[in-house]
Formats: sequence, structure tokens, C-alpha cells
Amino acid sequence: MIEAPTPFPAEAGTLPRGPALRRGLRANPLLVAGAAGSVLILAVAVLAPLIAPFPADAGAATHPFAVLRPPSAQHWFGTDDVGRDIFSRVIYGARISPLVAVVVLFIACVIGLPLGLLAGYFGGWLDEAIMRVTDIFLAFPPLLLALAFAAVLPASLTTVVIAIAVTWWPWYTRLIRGQAASVAGRPYIEACRALGISRWRILHSHVLPNSITPLTVQVSLDIGGVILTASALSFLGLGAQDPTPDWGLMVAEGQNYFTTAWWVVTFPGLAILFTAFTFNLFGDGLRDLLDPKRTFLR
Amino acid sequence: MIFYVARRVATAVLVVAGVIILTFVIARVVPGDPAATWAGPHASAAQVAAARKFLGLDRPPAVQLASYFGGILTGSWGLSIHTHRPVLSDIGAAAPASLELVTAALIIALVIAVPLGLISARWPGRAADHSIRAGSILGVSMPIFWLALILQLVFSQRLRLLPAAGEFSPSLLFTHPLTRITGFGLIDAPLTGNWAMFGSILGHLLLPALVVAAYPAGLIARLVRAQVLDTIGETHVQMVRALGFPERTVFGRFAMKLAWNPVAAALALVFGYSLVNTFLVEAIFDWPGLGEYATASIQTLDTPAILGVTLFIALIYVAANLIVDIVQAAIDPRIRLR
Amino acid sequence: MKPHRAWPIVSGCAAALLLAACGGSSSSSAPPHQASQVFTYDTTATVMDDGWDPATEYSDAIIAMTQMYETLTRYDAVTHRVEPLLATSWSSADNGRTWTFHLRHGVHFHTGRLMTAQIAKAAILRTIKLGGGAAYVWDAVTTISTPDPYTLVFHLKYAAPLDLQASASYSAYIYDTEAAGPGGNLTKWLNTPHDAGTGPYTLQTWNKGQEFEVILKSFPGYWGGWTGPHYKKVVFRVVSTDTTAAQLLRAGQVDFVEQVSPSIWKSLQGDPGIRTVASPSWQNLLAQLNAKALSLPVRQAILYGVNYPGIVAALQGAAVQSSGLIPAGLLGHYANLPNYTYDPAKATQLLHQAGYGPGKKPLNLSLTYTAGDSNEQVVATLLKSSLAKLNINLSIQSLAWPAQWGKAKSANAASHQSIFLEYWWPDYADPYTWFTNLLLTEKQPYFNLSYYSNPTMDAQINRVESVVATSPAAGAQLYRTLQMETLQQAPLTALYNVNYQYAMRRSFTGLTVNPAYANVVFTYNLRPTGS
Repeated sequence: MIEAPTPFPAEAGTLPRGPALRRGLRANPLLVAGAAGSVLILAVAVLAPLIAPFPADAGAATHPFAVLRPPSAQHWFGTDDVGRDIFSRVIYGARISPLVAVVVLFIACVIGLPLGLLAGYFGGWLDEAIMRVTDIFLAFPPLLLALAFAAVLPASLTTVVIAIAVTWWPWYTRLIRGQAASVAGRPYIEACRALGISRWRILHSHVLPNSITPLTVQVSLDIGGVILTASALSFLGLGAQDPTPDWGLMVAEGQNYFTTAWWVVTFPGLAILFTAFTFNLFGDGLRDLLDPKRTFLR
Repeated sequence: MIFYVARRVATAVLVVAGVIILTFVIARVVPGDPAATWAGPHASAAQVAAARKFLGLDRPPAVQLASYFGGILTGSWGLSIHTHRPVLSDIGAAAPASLELVTAALIIALVIAVPLGLISARWPGRAADHSIRAGSILGVSMPIFWLALILQLVFSQRLRLLPAAGEFSPSLLFTHPLTRITGFGLIDAPLTGNWAMFGSILGHLLLPALVVAAYPAGLIARLVRAQVLDTIGETHVQMVRALGFPERTVFGRFAMKLAWNPVAAALALVFGYSLVNTFLVEAIFDWPGLGEYATASIQTLDTPAILGVTLFIALIYVAANLIVDIVQAAIDPRIRLR
Repeated sequence: MKPHRAWPIVSGCAAALLLAACGGSSSSSAPPHQASQVFTYDTTATVMDDGWDPATEYSDAIIAMTQMYETLTRYDAVTHRVEPLLATSWSSADNGRTWTFHLRHGVHFHTGRLMTAQIAKAAILRTIKLGGGAAYVWDAVTTISTPDPYTLVFHLKYAAPLDLQASASYSAYIYDTEAAGPGGNLTKWLNTPHDAGTGPYTLQTWNKGQEFEVILKSFPGYWGGWTGPHYKKVVFRVVSTDTTAAQLLRAGQVDFVEQVSPSIWKSLQGDPGIRTVASPSWQNLLAQLNAKALSLPVRQAILYGVNYPGIVAALQGAAVQSSGLIPAGLLGHYANLPNYTYDPAKATQLLHQAGYGPGKKPLNLSLTYTAGDSNEQVVATLLKSSLAKLNINLSIQSLAWPAQWGKAKSANAASHQSIFLEYWWPDYADPYTWFTNLLLTEKQPYFNLSYYSNPTMDAQINRVESVVATSPAAGAQLYRTLQMETLQQAPLTALYNVNYQYAMRRSFTGLTVNPAYANVVFTYNLRPTGS
């Protein structure tokens, strides 16, 4: 992630509409670029079977008589150490990274959102208990705890997803808790209670909607970070296994040939970089658009 | 102030206890039988049972946790399966090199990022700002292991500018051997007057440190820019401007001072993050630190070593955060009152 | 600290870093004159991972052990003859059942003691007693007598080529059994570590688990003397990635690289300071199939499902197609055996017999190979892909060698892999090892990682050595029979024969590749030229 979520609740901004939106977009070239790039990657992922010239190479197919061919007209990114077309594998890899990120962040939200709401709204010992637990998880630098989990579980993409999700949820709990606590302290919430509206109803209809926007921003900021973490775990051999066209795995496998066959490592790595970069641009731009504090005078 | 420090330290201690319990839980999640691994491949069923007893795995989980706890506190962190030495002594041998690497990376990151962030904030919206912002996002989006390979290829192999791998030039093993006192090569070499070794270590450190510096540099540049721009918009700075001070002075004396605060707070985060990033980089450069030890442990399925490194880094991270919090509270009284 | 003042200090540091970097790299690319006295051997895996006892070591450590320890004789692959080393001459009598060796005078152990026949006898007897490593090379020996301090007489229970067996690269070393003192525990003393050999180099430092793992220094009292140019130190450097090893070689920081991927090896050929050497070896890559878990039709189907020509092509010169188990150059090699070929149709047919194969239920298998070996990784991936066409799901696991071997030897049979990939090479210039180590019934798995048991074959294996000693032609015929049976029963196969692809600096001469001592560089015989 680019920045850790601030522990102090920020003003929940709202998405501008109409002319305000257009103005916002023009002032935010990063958001537009990021959004365009992200859409491109998702399009590539969805259309992979149509775009990739050798779809079988993303699976178990090998071509031992065409190993380590440099980039050419037939193989735009060259072939790897068992003759598979790298361009096709990179294309299919676009299916893996964003999917992993989505699943991880979904799980992290599913865990973090309810816990954060409960802690923020109800306060008291529940809040203390939940915060202590998140403290413990957050005592580990990012990636480290995920690595420890992934190292003890059998290596697979599922393991990577579980390991990262388990280490990501505390951030969201903290964030939501801050938002929920701030909303819960507002006078109109007290008024609702005075009117006899049930606490669960208040939680559902008032606290939740007002806490969502910062979460959305944070999630979009985190996509790039999750993609990098997942590719790092795959690079270490803890994630997807051959022949899955996971970009981190491809870089790891290409290490041994790198000095003579530079294309095996370069293109998957560029794909990781490009994907993380565009999603980070998008998240950054979105945050700039939504956060009123960030609109600068110049 | 004392009250704040005491409160923070107490919280940190609780967190450390929780961290130790969490690593215990992870250790028990491992599929497979630790007793069988310990007893070795030739063991009979009776020997495996004896191993189970020796390792204390036949006791109830609560008792195991208590003795694990006790072990950690007294310094017995288990035996590494692939080196057959105590994990703590392995870590002690490997940690200084990683700390050197991370410190060098942070220094490089600060040297690059702070000026760039300031330039970006000084002239926001211009071409320099846009390219610096894009560059800093590039820095935090960089797959570190890939950058390591690329830089190694370009600078070592193609341009022959920098050494490829290792901590120092191996010929120095015989001509100017290094006597280790603290374990930190960059401290021991000058202490013993071994300048050839000092230069060699610095030379070998440069490339890995550049790689590890990418993320902190991107992050810090962004933070500096954001904080300075925030501060410049604040009322008291506007007043200084209204009083007639030139923009240069406004920027120099008032805005930049306050820019250091979030950077300092973020230092603990990037220190911890970079320490873990060494896992991805050290093996490529054969830099003999925790990262190389951790990757070797992962490859050999050496669970005690993996968890030992995890625990160690978590403890350093807790300590770093604690120190930063206390220093910030000492500087900024508002923090203590929250 | 005021922001303005920070700049000069900071930029000063940056300049110092840059200068040091330039200084550091220039000193490494132009080694000073003393550096030519150090020979650095670059390997990919831990060197001393099987202990320091020369009697029981049975792994990659021979690259270091052959510098510190010597055998009675040494096999010369160029002349195909057994040459003198610690023994200056020998003769056999009684149809090969009595062997007399005359020992060299004036040989000292690194402990200072003089080598006599009594100590040599004690070393061999201890090796036999410990029974580890390749101790089977002495199996024929019943008694050893020492009529005088420089004569060893071996009495065998059956005829055996003892001069050849005494040249083995494992378990044939002569070492000082009294090194630990009277009543001392020699194994413990050796594993401290110490070395008790007679060789040109002796142990200086062992940095377990670290990059510069083993450092040897010259032994001044070596019987061969030190006149003329010799390397005074030997360093074994463990570098796990090929690319780093190649870069170190180019920069002159290592002198010899044991293994790099074929493409990197080819790329090193253009460099003026580097010499590349390709040489056939007696090493092959085995796929050992789990005979307990897989039935015969399944095993044969797997072997028909391997794309042998594809593997050879993908390895770009590092591999040569093999015939049978025994590599060319050794007794018992036949090029015209009914080897398996890549025949998916036949494989399908066999799988259908067992209820598997395309269209039927899928078969899930596991394969382990040694981490860090890029050739094995390629082979594993190709296997996975060609077996996938037969509806076999092969899950591949790369493990560091101690972990891979440990898992295969474990008492828990359920955790055993279906296919085990490992290299094999002979202990001495004879094909016996492929049969005695890999195919003999084992109560506890050690190297028979097909977990295969065939009593008839056991009996044949147990007598083949004496057949060879009396009649090489009959011995070759028996080896042929053994290979035919192995092909039929399919407990294992040789996927290819290894072509050594070494790369080294041009700063020395005198290197000869000897397949009898796999990957060993006899550093004492090298002459540094200081270029």
C-alpha cells in the first residue's frame, strides 16, 4: 500500500457528479490514466483466449524444440526454458493477479468491516479487545506475516490468498472503526437512539453508509500493494506452481537464464510493474478526487 | 510525558506477548509431524515417539505454549533444521548485514526522496511535479526482485560498473581479512583500520541498497509533498506570507520543518517493510543477511528458522514503532494528550 | 539540524559511496599477484552436507575431500588405466583373490604421523566396519595382512578388481585412524571438523551454511612437494543462481564454475578470459519410480510417456540420449538395448489396462527434484507436460537436496514421492553402483528410492563383481541381463546422460576432466599462470 490508512477519521467525501465530476477528472490526469490502464488490464484478462496466440502455452503445453527463442515476429516476447510463448503466458497471467487481489481484499473487507463497525459503534470492552488483536497483527511489517503463513502451508495460489487476506484485514478494521466511532459520536445518531430506533438499524442505515467511502478509497489504493505482495510470494516459490502463468513465478523460473535470455524475466516483471502502477495511479487519483482536503489551490 | 511513555511501553509489551502467541499458532498450523522431522528419516516408530516426548509435543497445548513462551524469553528459539545451530545465533550472525543494507537503503531513499518531494511541493501542478509524482508511484509499484535482476544485469554484467554479488571481494579474505567485533562489516572494518575491506563492502552494498531504496524513496517523496502542501495551505503559514516574507523563506523555514513529522513517523514503517524486502533481494546478490537466511530456510522447509526470523523482525518493528512514537510525543505535545 | 546544512554532509556521503564503489569494483577485476594463489571453485549446493568422515561421505563433498584425502590408486580416464597414488605398485595372485600393494614411502598425514601399512589397514577396516558410503567396494575383502610397514596384502573371498575398487571416489580414502588419540572418538573428531588425510590440501576454515563454505590451505609436508607453480589455497564458494555464478566468473572472482545452464555456458564462450569445456560424463539423470505405489503397467506407461528427444533438445547440449543404465565408456554399456522411446499410444494402452489414461480416471502423481538445478526444473516441467497428455496429473516439488532426500527416506511411506529425480555417477570406474545402490532390496530406504525389491535380481547383483573379476566379457553379459530386466520391470530409468559443461578462467593450465571423479578438479595438478 502506498500509505497506511490514517488512524484518525478523515472527512468522508462523496463522489462528485456532472460538471463537478468532469472538472475533477480534468484536474486529475493520474486518475484517468490509472482508470484507463486498469480497464485495459481487465480487458486483456477477460479476452485472453482471443488475444493470446498460443493459449495452450498458458497451460501444460511445452515445446522442447523451441526453447529460449528471442523475441520475434512469431513470439513477440520470445519463448521460455520449455518453449512456451511468453506473450501468451503474460496475457493469461493478467487473469491471476487482479483476481487474487479482488479475492484477498474481499475477504479482508468481509472480516474487517463487521469487526470495525462493532468496535467503533459499540465501543467499550469490545472495542478494546478487537483493537488489541489488530495491534498484534499490525505489529508485523506487511509481507512478513503473509510470508510466515505461506511458508508453513503447502505452496499454491489458495495459500497466497489466505496468507495475504489474514494479514490485510486489521488495516480495514482500524479504518472502519475510526470512521464508525466518529459517526457514532454525532448528535443525530443520539437523536435516533432517543427516538427509539434499534442500534442495529442505526448501524445498518447510518453508520455503515457513512463509513464506506474511505474503505472504497483504501481498497482501490491497496490493489497494487496486494498484487506486489502476491507476486513476491510467488517469486519465493510459495504461491502458484508451474505451469500456472503467474508473473512472479515466471520471474523466479527465468532467473537462471536471465543473462542470456533477458526476455524470460523482463516481460513478466514489466507486467507486474505496469499492473501495480496503473492500479496505484487509479487508487491515488480516486483518493484525490474524493478527499476534499486534497484539493489544492494551485 | 512519563505517563505516556509508560502507557506506550505497556502496550508494546502486550503486543509482543501477542506476537509470540501468534507465531506459536503458525508453528502448529504446519502440516506434517515435527517429531518425525526431528527424529530423522531412519527413525523407527519408537524413536519418533521419543522425539515427540523430547520436543514436548505430547503435552497439552497450553503447557506447550507456556514453555514456548519461556523459551523465547530466555533466548532458546529452537534449532535450525538446515544449519543445525540455534536459530537465535543464526539470526544474530545474519542480522547485522541486513541492518546495514536497510540503513543504507533508507539513507539513499532520504537523500533522493526528500529533495524531490520538496521540489514537487514547491511548484505543484507543473511538469516536474507530475513526473516526480509518477516516479514516486513507480517506486512503490516496483517488484523489487525484478528490479534487482535488471540492475544486476545492467550494472554488473553489461556495464561492468559494480560487483555482481557477495559482501566483499573474495581476494580480500586472504589479503585483508576482516576481524568481526560487532558483526557489522561497515563498523568493524574502520574500527580495525581495514580500509580496503570497508571500500569493498560499500561497493558491494550499493546495488542491493539502491534496489531496496525504491519503495521508501517513492513513499517518502509522496509523504513530503503531501505534508508540505498541507502545511502551506494552513492559516499560520498564510499569515507569514501576508506579513511579507518571500516565498523562498516561507518555504524554507516554516513549511519544511513540519514536513519532517510524517516522514519520521513513516520511517518505522518503511524500515520494517524494507527489512522484509531484503528477503527478495539478498539471495540475488548473495548478500549474507537475514533475507538470504530466510530464503534458504523456506527452501529447506526449516520451520523453526522461518518463525524465528518472523518473530525477530516483528520485535524489531515493534521496537522501532515504539521509539518513533516516543520521540514524536517528546517533540509534539499534542500527541501525548490524545 | 537546519535543512540547509544537511545537504553537504549528505552529498558528501553519496560521493564517498560512489568512489568506494568504483574502488571496490576495480580492485576485484584486476586481482593482485597474491590472488593467483587462490583457486575458487563455484558450486551450486552445500559442499559438506554429509559430514566430514571420509569413510562414510557419499555425496557432493568429494569435490573437497579429494583435495584433502587420497586413495591407494587413481583411475585415469584418458589411458583407461589404474595409476599409482598412495600405492606405487601392486600385483594380484590366486586368480584375483589375493592382492599385494606396495605403499609409497615418506607420506605424512596432516596430523604429522607417517603413513604405514598398519594405519592404512586400520583405515580400511574402519571404513568396512562403519559400512556407510561406498564401503561395499571392500565387500570382497576377508582379511588384510601387513608383512612389513609398506606392504598391504588383501585376501578376498571372491575374485574382484581390487586395484580399480581402491581408486573409488568414495570410502577408499586412507586416513589417520589415530588422529583422535588413543580411545578417542574419531567420527566426532572428524566432524568438529578436522581432516586426517594425506592430500595436498588441508582444512583451514569451514563456514557452515555460508557462501564461502570451505577454505583449504596447502599442506607443506605433502609428499608430492610444492616446487613449481601451485595454488596455495582452495576456496569452495556456494552460489545458488547460475546468473550470479556466470557474472562472478566473468569478473574473475571465481576460477571454475561447476554448473551453469546450457544457454549461459554458450554465452560464456565469447569471453576472452574464459575457457569452456564440454566433456561426456558417467553421470546420468535418473527417474526413480515408486514401485510400491505404482503397478508395473503404470510404471511402463510413464516411461513411454517421457519425451526423451524433447528433453535432450531443451537442454541444449547438456544432455545426451542414454541407452540402458550404464553410460558409454564403462563396461556393460550397450547401445542396442530395447530402450523406452516416446510412445504416447503405447503408454495409453498400458494405462487403460490399469484403469487410467485419457478418457478414464485421472492419475495423480508427485515428483521431487533438487532445488537450484535448472536442468532438473526443465525436465520436471517437460515431464509434467507430456504426462498431462496421458491424463496424469504430476505435481512437482522442488526441494533442497537434504529435504528431498530426507522426504524420500522417511519412515512414513505415505509421504513418499511417485517419481524421484536425481543424478547418479559411479563410485569407481565400474557400473556396479547403479545396481548395488539403486536396485538392491533395502530394509530402510537409502538410495533405492524406487523402493524396489526383486530377490532374483539381488542374487545376480551380488555375484556380478566376481564374474567381472574372472571374465570381463561374462561380466558385461551379466550387466546386459540386469539392464534388460530393469527395462522390463521399470523401477527406474536414465532420462539422459550428462554432458559436463564446465566454464573456467584461463588463468591456469593442467585441468583434465576425469569422469571417474565427478566434478572433481585436482587443484594440485593445476598450474596457475597468473594471467
